[in-house]
Amino acid sequence: MMSADGKVEYGVYEVFVQKSHADHHVHVGSLMAPSPDLAMQLARENFLRRDSAVNLWIVPREYIYTTPYSSDFFAREMDRKYREVGGYTENGRLWRLFKEKTLTMEEIVSHIEET
Amino acid sequence: MTEQERLELFMERIRRGEKIEATDWMPDEYRQLLIKLIHMHAVSEIMGAYPEKEWVPKAPSLRRKLAIMAKVQDEMGHGQLLLRVVEDLAKPLGKNREDLIEDIYHHRVKFHNVFHMEARTWADAGVIGWLVDGAAIINQASLLSTSYGPYARVLKRICAEESFHMQHGENIILALAMGTPEQKRMLQESLDYWWESLLFFFGPPEVTPAAERMLYYRIRTLTNEELRQKFLDKYVPRILSIGLTIPDPQLHYDKELKRWIYTMPDWEKFGEIVKKNNGPKSRERIELRRQAHEGGRWVREAMLTKTAV
Ligand SMILES: [Fe+2]
Ligand SMILES: [Fe+2]
Repeated sequence: MMSADGKVEYGVYEVFVQKSHADHHVHVGSLMAPSPDLAMQLARENFLRRDSAVNLWIVPREYIYTTPYSSDFFAREMDRKYREVGGYTENGRLWRLFKEKTLTMEEIVSHIEET
Repeated sequence: MTEQERLELFMERIRRGEKIEATDWMPDEYRQLLIKLIHMHAVSEIMGAYPEKEWVPKAPSLRRKLAIMAKVQDEMGHGQLLLRVVEDLAKPLGKNREDLIEDIYHHRVKFHNVFHMEARTWADAGVIGWLVDGAAIINQASLLSTSYGPYARVLKRICAEESFHMQHGENIILALAMGTPEQKRMLQESLDYWWESLLFFFGPPEVTPAAERMLYYRIRTLTNEELRQKFLDKYVPRILSIGLTIPDPQLHYDKELKRWIYTMPDWEKFGEIVKKNNGPKSRERIELRRQAHEGGRWVREAMLTKTAV
């Protein structure tokens, strides 16, 4: 693209890397490129010189809708401990009274993997 | 490349433990099995929110009300994540979200037996949170290693949220187990009501032809019986520790066979409930789902119309 004063202007692309099939794509940064094809090449050069990946997304910045940084969009009207594992620490103490312990996801996952 | 060679390459990828992505070529059978499994999973999340949602207005304290409401929101959220996975799979077949939801009230998709049952008391709400979620978590944790990438990634997020559900369920149960004699009695009655449904949840012990194909494609990696055994491993000791009696005199761990021996649930009765949607709460909950979906249609349509603001 050529700007009014004759300078060459490239488009901005945001870059998302998927490190493994178990992961979602994660935003790593942005770059400027003259076309999506070249943005893809450049993304590999800029962000994957060492890290490996299984997939790459590049998205023209104008297609990204964003929240403002200072707004009450993320406001928490009250304490949300009841929604978190951390809100139930008393379970551990209560189970001890019954000579048992609280069950965790890690314990289940490792029990599933056991053959 | 011939169809046979393509299939061979695909199966080599599966055997190497690679993940298949939505954009990859896949045999039709693989796609159909995934759609069937994940659609049922998604719909079970949504219909599974109903028994607990019925307890939101009746929860015994504000904190309990907030917590159970948070859980109901999570389950609906799990349904949304899973439906997205099915939508991408079903797109080439011309099916979309509307169809996937309508399938519920046209009785074209099944959901888990436990969500057809009645949540009669607060102890039932607790047992659902603890043991029904517990059974579902065993199942979902085993699916983390599924060969289908998009399903595996969504399950990772779901399991992270289920960690909260585990604690939430335990907390309700522990409070009742330490409560008045009446609360303890209520808890025992609840376990008596749910036990058979919980055993049924994992499905028949024999490996059905469809299950065999899922194992072949590594969509699943464990059999129904293996999952049921893992559930019993983790939960029987805890159930007994809080002074409850499991309503099955046969139930014991056979050290030689290295497995739990239990009385079979009534396969026919629960099978009918799931197939025909004729459990104690099936019709009522499906009707609510229909009303929500049909009643919201005008909103979905209005959202698509551009208005001058
Ligand atoms: Fe869930
Ligand atoms: Fe859950």
